[in-house]
Amino acid sequence: MQLTASRLLMSHLIALAVFALVTLALVPLIYSSGGIANHDIQRYGKYLCWAALAVSLNLLWGYTGLLCLGQCVFFGLGGYAFGMYLMLNVGVDQVYKTALPDFMDFLGYTELPAHWKPFESFGFAVGAVIWVPGVMALIFGFLAFRSRITGVYFAIMTQALTYVAWILFLRNEFTFGGNNGFTDFKKILGANLYSHPHTSTNGKELLFFILSALLLIVTILLMIALTRTRFGKIQRAIRDSENRVRFSGYCTENFKLFIFTLAAIIAGIAGALWLPQAGGINGDVFLPRESLWVVVWVAVGGRGTIWGPVIGAILISALKSWAQREYENTWIIILGGVFLIIVLFLPGGISSLGKKLLGWIRICRSRTENFITNRKKKVDPNGDGEETLQ
Amino acid sequence: MRNLGLIIPLLLAIFGLPAVAVSESIKVREKLAEAAISSEEKQIQILESLIESGDPFIAKVLIAWRRGELFLIEHEGSTIPVLLENADSKEPVKAFALKNGKVLNGKSGKKLTFVPSQQKAAETTRNLRAQIKKTTDLLAILNPNPKLRAEAAFKLGSQGKPEYLTALKNRETVEDNPKVLKKIKEGMAISQLRIGDEKQRIQAAVNLGELRCIASLDSLERIIREQEKLTKGEKNIDLIRETSKAIKIIEVHKDWVNKGQTVFRGINYGAVLLIVSLGLAITFGLMGIINMAHGEMIAVGGYSAYLMQKWMTGFFGPEALQWYFLLAIPFAFLAAATVGLLVERSVIRFLYRRPLESLLATWGVSMILQQCFRLYFGAANVQVNSPDWLIGSVSVGDMSFNYNRLFVIAFAAVIVLGTGLLMSKTSLGLSIRAVMQNRDMAASMGIRTSRIRMVTFAFGSGLAGLAGCFLSQIDNVGPEVGSKYIIDSFMVVVTGGVGNLLGTITAALGIGTADRMLEAWSDSPVVGKVLVLSAIIIFLQARPGGLFAANSRSLD
Repeated sequence: MQLTASRLLMSHLIALAVFALVTLALVPLIYSSGGIANHDIQRYGKYLCWAALAVSLNLLWGYTGLLCLGQCVFFGLGGYAFGMYLMLNVGVDQVYKTALPDFMDFLGYTELPAHWKPFESFGFAVGAVIWVPGVMALIFGFLAFRSRITGVYFAIMTQALTYVAWILFLRNEFTFGGNNGFTDFKKILGANLYSHPHTSTNGKELLFFILSALLLIVTILLMIALTRTRFGKIQRAIRDSENRVRFSGYCTENFKLFIFTLAAIIAGIAGALWLPQAGGINGDVFLPRESLWVVVWVAVGGRGTIWGPVIGAILISALKSWAQREYENTWIIILGGVFLIIVLFLPGGISSLGKKLLGWIRICRSRTENFITNRKKKVDPNGDGEETLQ
Repeated sequence: MRNLGLIIPLLLAIFGLPAVAVSESIKVREKLAEAAISSEEKQIQILESLIESGDPFIAKVLIAWRRGELFLIEHEGSTIPVLLENADSKEPVKAFALKNGKVLNGKSGKKLTFVPSQQKAAETTRNLRAQIKKTTDLLAILNPNPKLRAEAAFKLGSQGKPEYLTALKNRETVEDNPKVLKKIKEGMAISQLRIGDEKQRIQAAVNLGELRCIASLDSLERIIREQEKLTKGEKNIDLIRETSKAIKIIEVHKDWVNKGQTVFRGINYGAVLLIVSLGLAITFGLMGIINMAHGEMIAVGGYSAYLMQKWMTGFFGPEALQWYFLLAIPFAFLAAATVGLLVERSVIRFLYRRPLESLLATWGVSMILQQCFRLYFGAANVQVNSPDWLIGSVSVGDMSFNYNRLFVIAFAAVIVLGTGLLMSKTSLGLSIRAVMQNRDMAASMGIRTSRIRMVTFAFGSGLAGLAGCFLSQIDNVGPEVGSKYIIDSFMVVVTGGVGNLLGTITAALGIGTADRMLEAWSDSPVVGKVLVLSAIIIFLQARPGGLFAANSRSLD
C-alpha cells in the first residue's frame, strides 16, 4: 500500500474537498432548512476551532518537534482580543446603566482604560487577534530559541508561560474581567450576534460556523503545502536532528521562530472565532490543563499527519462531552485510560490505526501461512501427522 | 474531626484541673472559698489581699467565677463553692470543692455528680466584676510563665491606669527576666505617655524610641495628632520633637524586622519548594521522565497522613493526634513509593526511550489518580490536624518564627541530607547513578538496570509522598494539592540544572526567597510570581543548562 507522493497529495486534496463540501454546503443547507439547532451549530463550530488549534500545535510538535504546552495562551489571547471588541458592544447594561463592561463598573472605573479604547474599532480588534498572539510568540520564541531551549525544557517553559497567563488573567486589577472574564455578548458591527427564538431575531451562528470551517480548510491547505516545499523539508529535518541541520549551514532558530509565530497566529484566530460560539471566556482558558488537552488531541489523532489532529480534536471533544453526560464521575478515568492505551500501544495515534491493522493482518496471515507450511513439513516426513502435532 | 472543639476542652478539664488542684496551697483556696460566699465588701477586700500571692490558680478561679462557672452547691447542710469537671456539659459531671480541690462525695463515699445547667452559680455584682478584672490583670504580671508575664505587663501598660503603673513599677524592681523587664519598661513608658505630666511624657517618648517598641507606634502617632490640633501656644515643642524622633527610630527598626521576616518566609517557602521538587529531581532530573504525575504522588502522601490520623484516632482516641504524624511520615513514603512502583511497572518502563511521550502518559496517570482521589475522598479538602507541638511560635527580638515552619526547614535539611548520602555513599546510589548516566554500560557491568530504574522511580515517588505528608501540616489536602506545586517543582529542577541535587537545593532556596521578597516589595503575590518566572526565563538565556549544568561533549 505504498502511496506515491502525488497520489498522497491527491487523496489529501480529495479529503479536503469532501470536508469543504460538507461544512460549506451541506451543513448550511440543513441548518437553513431548520435541521440543526442553533446551539448544535455553535458546538460544531467550536469543534472546528479546536481542530484548527490542534493543527497549529501539530505544526509545532508534529512537524518541527517543538512540544508546546502553552498553545492555549495564544488561543486565549486571540479570544480575549476579539472579546474586548465584543464587550464594548454589549450596550448599556441593566444594573449599572453605563456603556462600560460590567466588571469595570463593579471595580469603580468611570471611563475606559487607555488600552481598551482602540478596541472600539472592529478593524483594530481583528488586527489585534493576529498581532497580539504573534508578538507574544515572537518575544517568547526569540528568548527561548536564542538560548537553545529545546525538547523537554521548551515544553516546561511554555507550561510556565500559560501558568503565568492564568494567574494574571484571574486578577481583577488586570482589567480583563478577572474570574468572570468576558461574557454576555450581544452585537457585532451593529448586528445581533445570537438568534432569539422568542423575538425571532436572526443571529450570526451560521456565519461563524462557516468562518471556522474556512479557517480549518486554509490551515490544512497550508499544512499540505508545507509538507511539499523545501521549507517544510527543513522543518521536518529540524525535528529529526536539529544539530545536523545546523551543521549544514541553516539557522534553525529563525525557522523555529517563524513556525512558532505562525502557529501562534493560527491559534489566535481560532480563539477569536471560538469565542462568540462559546459565548464567553475567562482566565481558566489559560489553565495548564487546557493546553495539555490540545496535546492529547494531537497525540491521539496522530502527530505529524495532516488529518490526525483534526480527527483527534473532534473525536476527543465529542467523546468528552458524551462521557461527561453519561458517566459523570468516572469519565476522566475512562478518558485517561483510553489515552494511556493509545500512547503506549499506538504511538502514531488513530490515523496510524489503519496501517497498524494492515500490518497486524499481514503478520497474522504470514504466521498462519508459516503454521500451515510447518505443519506440512512436520506432517510430511513421518506420514502420520496427527500424533506428532501433539 | 467535627468533635475536636468538644474534645480539647474536655481533655483540659480532665487532666488540667485536678493536677492544679493538688499543687495549690490550701490557704489561697480557703480564702477564695470564703470570698465566694461573702458579702460584696468582704469579697473585694479578700480579692485585694490575694493579689500579692501571685498564684495563677486564683486567676483561673476568678475567670470561671466571672463566667458564671463557679457553682454553689448545698451539701450536707452547708453551701459549698465548687468547680465542675466541665461547665459546658449537658450530662452530670463530678464536682471539685474549691476549698480543698477534692471531689465531692456523698454519704456512702460515692462520688456525686451534677448537671451544670441545673446548679446555682456564684453571683457577681458590677463592683465585684471590676475587682475581678483588676485582680486578674495584676495577677497576670506575677504569672510564673515569663511569656504570659511579658504579655500581661505590656497590656497593663497600654491601659494607662495609675494603679497599674504603680504595679508595674513594683514589679520592675524585682523582675529578673530581661525579656519581661523590657516589656515592663515598654508598658510603663506607654502608660506614662498617656497619663504622665509633660516631663514624664517626653521621657517616655525617648524611652520608647530607645526600646524600639513597635507596638507603641500607634500611641506615639496619636500624640503627634493630638499636638497638631492644639494652638501654637499650647503645643509642647519638645514632646513633638522627641516623639517624632522616636517614631523614626522605631520605623527603621520595624523595617528591618519586616525584612528579616520576609527572608525567613522566603527560606521557608524555599524549603517547601525543595521538599516538593526533590522527588522530581530524581524522577525527572535523573531518570529523564517528564513526570506529570508527581503532583499526585504528593497528594498520595497528603492523603496518607489523613488516613493515618483517621485510623489512629479511631483506635486510640483523640490522644493519638499528638503522635500519629510520626507514623504518617514512613507510611506516606511507603504508600507513594508503592504507587510509584506500580506506575513504573505498568506504564513508564515502556517509555524510557520516548521522553516526550512519558509526559503524555504520566499526565494520563495523573488524571486517573486525581479522579480516584475525588471519588474516594470527595472533592473537598480533608482536614489533617497538626499535633500541638507543631502549633505556636518562638520569637527572637521582634521576629516570630512558627514551629511548623521551622519544622519544615529542618525536615527539608534532613531529607536532602538523606538523599544525598544515599546517592553518594551507598552501593544502591552508585548503581542508580551508573544506570542513569549510561544504561548500556551499567548493564554490561552486571547491574540489573530494569530493577534499578524501578527502585529509583519508587524512591522519587516516595520522596514526593513525604512532601505531601509535610504539606498536610501547612496547606490543605485535596485532590488538587499536587497540581498546585507541579509547575513550581519543574521550574526548580530546570533552573537548578537537571540531574544535580546541589542545583536543586540552590534553585529552591533562591526561587523561594526571591518569590517572597518580590511579593513583599510589590505587595502582590501575582506580580511576585510573574517576575520570578520571567527572571527564570531570562536566567536561562545566560545558562541554558541551569545553575549547575552537567558538562558533556555528547550531542543528540
